[in-house]
Amino acid sequence: MRFRHLLAIPLFCAALWGQDAALKDTFLQAKALWATQGDREGASARFDGVVAALAPKAGGLEPEWIQILCESYNWLAVLDDRGVQTKPRAQVRLQALMDLNPDFEVDRALTSQRLAALFDRMKGEKYALVKLSYAPVGGRLLVDGRPGAPLPRKYLAFGIHKLTYTRPGHAPAEIALELGPRDVKSADFKLARTASTLTLYVQPGDVEILLDGQSLGYAIGKAGSDAAPLALPLGLRPEELSAAFVIPELAPGKHRLELRAPCFRTRTIELGAELATPAADHTLEPIRMEPSRGTLSVNSAWPGGELFLSGQSRGPLPVADLPVCSGSYDLLVRFPAGGFAQRITVEEGQSLALEARPKPRLAFAGLEGGDFTGRARFLAQLEALGDRLQPLAYLPARPDEPPAEALARLKASREAELVLIARPVPDKIIHRVELVLATLDGEEARLVVKPLEQDPLGSLAARLNAVPRLQRPGLGLSVLDVPSEPGPWVLAASAPALKAGIQIGKPLLQVQGKPVPTAQGLQRLVEAAQGPVSVSQEGATASLPLQMEALEIPLGSPDFCYPAVLAQLRLQYAGAKGDEANLIKLNQALVLMQFRKYDKAIELLRDARLSTLHGVSQGTLDYHTGLCFLHLGTSYHSEAGQAFRQALKYPQSTLLGPDGPLVAPLARQALEDLK
Amino acid sequence: MRVPSPWFRPLAALSCALPVLAQGQDAGLAERLYRSGERAYSAKSYQEALDTWGQLLQTDSKSGFAPRALLMLARHQMEVERKPEAAMPYLDRLRTDYITSPEAADGLLLRGLLLARQARRPAELKAAMGEFNRILDLFPEAPVRGEARFQLGRAWRDQGQWGRALHQFIEAFRLHPGSAVAPQAMLEAAETLDLMGDLPGCLRMLQRLRTEAPQSPEAQEAAWRAAVRVKHRLQKPPLRNEGPWPAGRTKWLKTPTLLATAPDGDLLIFQNGLDRAFRLHGSELTAQGPAAPGTRALLPGPGGAVWMLSKNGLVREDAAAIQPLGALGALSGAALDRWGALWVADARTPALTLFTAEGGTRTVASPTASALAPLATGGVVIAADADRKLLFLDADGQPRVIVPYGQDLPVPFRSVIALAADGAGQVAALVDGGDFGEGVVIFGPDGAVLRHTTFKALGLSGRIVSLALDRSGGLILCDRRNDLLIRLN
Repeated sequence: MRFRHLLAIPLFCAALWGQDAALKDTFLQAKALWATQGDREGASARFDGVVAALAPKAGGLEPEWIQILCESYNWLAVLDDRGVQTKPRAQVRLQALMDLNPDFEVDRALTSQRLAALFDRMKGEKYALVKLSYAPVGGRLLVDGRPGAPLPRKYLAFGIHKLTYTRPGHAPAEIALELGPRDVKSADFKLARTASTLTLYVQPGDVEILLDGQSLGYAIGKAGSDAAPLALPLGLRPEELSAAFVIPELAPGKHRLELRAPCFRTRTIELGAELATPAADHTLEPIRMEPSRGTLSVNSAWPGGELFLSGQSRGPLPVADLPVCSGSYDLLVRFPAGGFAQRITVEEGQSLALEARPKPRLAFAGLEGGDFTGRARFLAQLEALGDRLQPLAYLPARPDEPPAEALARLKASREAELVLIARPVPDKIIHRVELVLATLDGEEARLVVKPLEQDPLGSLAARLNAVPRLQRPGLGLSVLDVPSEPGPWVLAASAPALKAGIQIGKPLLQVQGKPVPTAQGLQRLVEAAQGPVSVSQEGATASLPLQMEALEIPLGSPDFCYPAVLAQLRLQYAGAKGDEANLIKLNQALVLMQFRKYDKAIELLRDARLSTLHGVSQGTLDYHTGLCFLHLGTSYHSEAGQAFRQALKYPQSTLLGPDGPLVAPLARQALEDLK
Repeated sequence: MRVPSPWFRPLAALSCALPVLAQGQDAGLAERLYRSGERAYSAKSYQEALDTWGQLLQTDSKSGFAPRALLMLARHQMEVERKPEAAMPYLDRLRTDYITSPEAADGLLLRGLLLARQARRPAELKAAMGEFNRILDLFPEAPVRGEARFQLGRAWRDQGQWGRALHQFIEAFRLHPGSAVAPQAMLEAAETLDLMGDLPGCLRMLQRLRTEAPQSPEAQEAAWRAAVRVKHRLQKPPLRNEGPWPAGRTKWLKTPTLLATAPDGDLLIFQNGLDRAFRLHGSELTAQGPAAPGTRALLPGPGGAVWMLSKNGLVREDAAAIQPLGALGALSGAALDRWGALWVADARTPALTLFTAEGGTRTVASPTASALAPLATGGVVIAADADRKLLFLDADGQPRVIVPYGQDLPVPFRSVIALAADGAGQVAALVDGGDFGEGVVIFGPDGAVLRHTTFKALGLSGRIVSLALDRSGGLILCDRRNDLLIRLN
C-alpha cells in the first residue's frame, strides 16, 4: 500500500506540472482524505505531490501558490509527526516552511502544541518580529529591495535590514533596522504626498495607455472584487474590467489620455487640471472601448489564391466581405505561381475591395556574414525594399535564418520565383556589397553597391520596377524626322493606313488636331490615344485605328534586371493565349539566350507560332531559333539552316520592333556562312 | 624511425610559414605599387608611374595587379605617347601570360584595334578579327564585348562583306544597348543597309539612332545623312539656284578652282589666286595648310588635314616635305581610302595610281579618268570621257556599276569636269558638252540619276570648275570667273 502511494508521487508530479487546476484539486483532495477518511498515507502522498510540483519553482510563485505550498508543509509536518518512522521529518517540513515564508503562522487547530512550540522555537532562533504601520495604506513594501506584502507583523532574519514603503503619488519612506535574538521592533511609515494619481479600469483589457502621446504601458489582467462598485453600475462584472492601471505621477496642468487597442476605436480623454491639483488619488469611471471593424473583399481572375493578412491565413479566394479589425495589414495572396502583396489599411465601417493579380515573388534570403560599418542601416534598407517595388511581391527574410538555409528552403518549397541575397565583397575593409538576384533555375544578375552611399538600393529598385513592354500602340506608319519638313515625314505605311488615305512621302501636319513636329511627339500622342487617331496631311484628314505592334525586349540593358523580367514573363505567359502567349515565349527565349541557355530557348521557340508577317513576327522567331541552334555547335547546323530558310519566307519580319532591321538579309547571310 | 628533436618543430613550422608570409607581404606590396603608379599617373607624373608599374611587374609578376599594370602601360603608349608599336609588347605579354585575367579582354581589344589600324589590305585584318573573336569566345561577361562586335563589323565592312558586317553591327547595339558603342553601331548598320540597297532600312535605322541616342554625335551625323538621302533619293525636288553663297557674298574669293568637303562638313576651297586652301566654317574663311601653287586636286586627309596635289607632288598640311607623285602631270582627281592609300587619277594616264601608306606605288587598270571622287563603299568613282562612262569601282578597283553618260537623262553630256561625293552614297558630276551642255547630275549609289539640271536652265553664266555636295542636300558650285560660290538647292 505504502509502495503504491510512493509510486503515485512521480505520477502526480508529471501530471500536475503546469496544470494549476489539477494541482489545487490534489491539494483539496489531500486535505479531505485526512479530514474525512483519516487516510494519512493517501493524504501524505498527495501533499508530497503538491510539494514536489511547487517547491522547485518556489522563488517565482504567486502568493496564492506560496500559501498552498506553506499549508502543504504544515500538513506534512503534522502527518509526519504522527508516525514513528516519519517523525524526524516533521522538523524538516517546518524548517522548509519557515524558509519559504517566515511570516506564515502554523494552523494551531491542526498542529499539536508541541509541534507549534517547536516551530516557534525554531523561528525565534533565526528571526525577530517587526511590527509595522503604514499611512496611508495600500502601498508597496520592499524589504532589502525585494517586494513583500505590507503586513502589520513581519519576521525578519537577524541582521540589518532596509525597509522601503512606496505608494503612487507619494514620496517613498525608508527605515533601517538591526535585528537580533528576541528583538521586537516597530517600523512606522508616514508618506508625504507629492502628486495626484489616476487609476483606470478598461473594458476589455490589453489596451495601450498613452498620456500626452507617451506610452505608459498596457492595462492588462482582470480587476478584483474591489472594482465591483465601479463595474456593477455599468452592468459589468468586475472580472470583465482590466486590473487597475495606475498613473502614478500626474504632473500639474491639463493632460490628454489616449487608449488604443487593435480592433477597437481609439479613445481620447481630456483630463482637466483639477485632477492634478490639488494632489489626490482619483479613479476614473471604467472606460469601455468601442469595437472598430471594416470589411475586406479580395478577388482574382487567377485560380488557386489564398489570402493571408499579416501572416495569418484567411482562406482561399474569393473572399467577400470578410470582417476585419480596422488597422493596417500586410496583405498577401499566394498563388500556385506568384503572389500578390500589398500593405492595406482597413478603415472603420468601410469596405475595401481588391483585385489580386499575381506578381513574381522576390524572397530576400538575407545578408551574409562579414561585419562592416553601416551594416544595420543597409540591412534595414534591404528589409524595407518591398515598399519600393511595384511589380514584385517581396518576402522579407525570416528572423535569425542564415542565408544559406533560407536559400535551401526557398529552393525546396519554391514559394518564391526570385531570390535576393546580399554578400559583402571580402576586403580589408568591407565597402562593397554584391547583390545577387536569381531565379530558382539559376538565371542571375549581380549588382555591386556601396552600403554607405545615400541610397544603395536605388539602382536595384529602379531596375526591378522597370518592366519592358512587349507591345506598343502604332498607326502602321513608318515616319522620319526630316529637316525643313513641318512634321514627321511618312516613309512607309501599312495597307490599312494607305486605304485610309495616308500618302507616302508627305509630312503629317496634325495629329488629333494638334501640330506634331517630331516622330517622338507622334509616338507620345499615339501612346496616349484611347481609340482611332486622326492625322492630317496637306488638308486631308484620315482616321487610323490603333494597332498593337509587337516588340522584342531590349537585351543587355542596364535598365532591367533580367531574372525579374524572366519571372514576370513566365507569370504573364500563364494567363495569355494565342499570339500574345507566343510573343511572350519569344521574349522569354530572348532573355534565356542572354543567359546563354540556348537549349531552353529552343524549347520555347520550337512550339511558338506567330500569325503576323510584318515586324516582330514568325520570321523573327525562326531567325532566333536559327541563332540558338548555331550556338549549340556544329551538330545542329542543319537545324540552324532549316530555321534560317524558314525565316527567309517572311521578308517583312524585323528584329527589335516594327521599324527594326529586316530579318531576311541576316538570315541569308547566316545561311551563306553555313555553307 | 628517427624522432625529430623538440627544437626542430618550431623551426620547421617557421620555414613552412615564411613563404606564405612573404607571399602575403608581396601581395600587399603589389597592390601598393599599383596604387602608387595610379596616383602618379593621375597626377600626370607619367615616368614615375611607368617606373612604379615596371617595378611591380619585376617584383611580383604573379600578382593580380600585374595584368592591370600591363594594360595601363599599353594604354599609356597608345593614348599619351602615341606610339602604338610600343604598346604591342605589353599587350603581347598580357595575352600570353594573363589570358585568364579580366584585363585580358581589354588587352585583346586594344591589340585588335592596333592590328586593324596597321592593316593595309583586307587580308591583313584577319589577325585583328582573331582578337575580337577571342573576346567574344573567352569573355562572356566582359564589358568590351559590344566594342569587339562593333570592330568585327567594321573589319567585315572593310572587306566588303556587307552582310556579315551588318550582323555584327546589329548584334552590337541589340545586345549592348546602353553601351557607348551602340550609337556608332547603329550608324554603321544604317550605312551598311544602304550599301546593301535597303534605303528604307537605312533611313529607319538612322531614325532609331536619333530617337534612342539623341544627344550623341552619331545622332547629329544621322540627321544629315537621313536628310540628304530623303532629299536626293526620295523627294528629288528640281534643283534651283539659290545664288551666291554663303549669304549672297560675291567677289570674295581669288580664283577658286577646287572644292572638297571635310569630314566635319566644312567646305574646303582652293583659291588659285592665293595658291592656298581655305576652310569655310559658317561664314568664316581661314587659311589651311601651306601654299601649294598649281594644285589640281584637293582632299581632306587624316585628322582633318588638307592634302593638295599638283604636278610638283603632294603637299600635306600634316607633313613638311612634298611627296613626289612621279610622272603624273595632268592630275584630274584624288581620294584617300580606308587603308591610307591615295588614289590618283591623271588625265593622260590610262590607269589609276595608288600611293600606299608605306610609300609604295601601284597602278590599277582603268580607263583614263577625267575626274575622281571617293565612295562610301571604300572604292572610287571615276569619269572616263573617252568611253563616255562613269565607273563605280570597288576597293579593289573592280568596276561594280557602269553608267553610260546620258543614261536616264533626256539628252547626253560629253564630258565630266569634276566629281564630288557626300559620304552618304550620292555622287555629283559637273558635266559639259553634248546636247545636255553645262550642268550638274546627281547619281545614287547604284548609278541611277537622282537629280539634274543645266546651268542654262538655272541662268548661270560663270565658269564653274568644281562642285561639292553639302549636308543639307544642296550643291555648292565653284565659279572661278566671278570669284564666288553658288548654291543649288
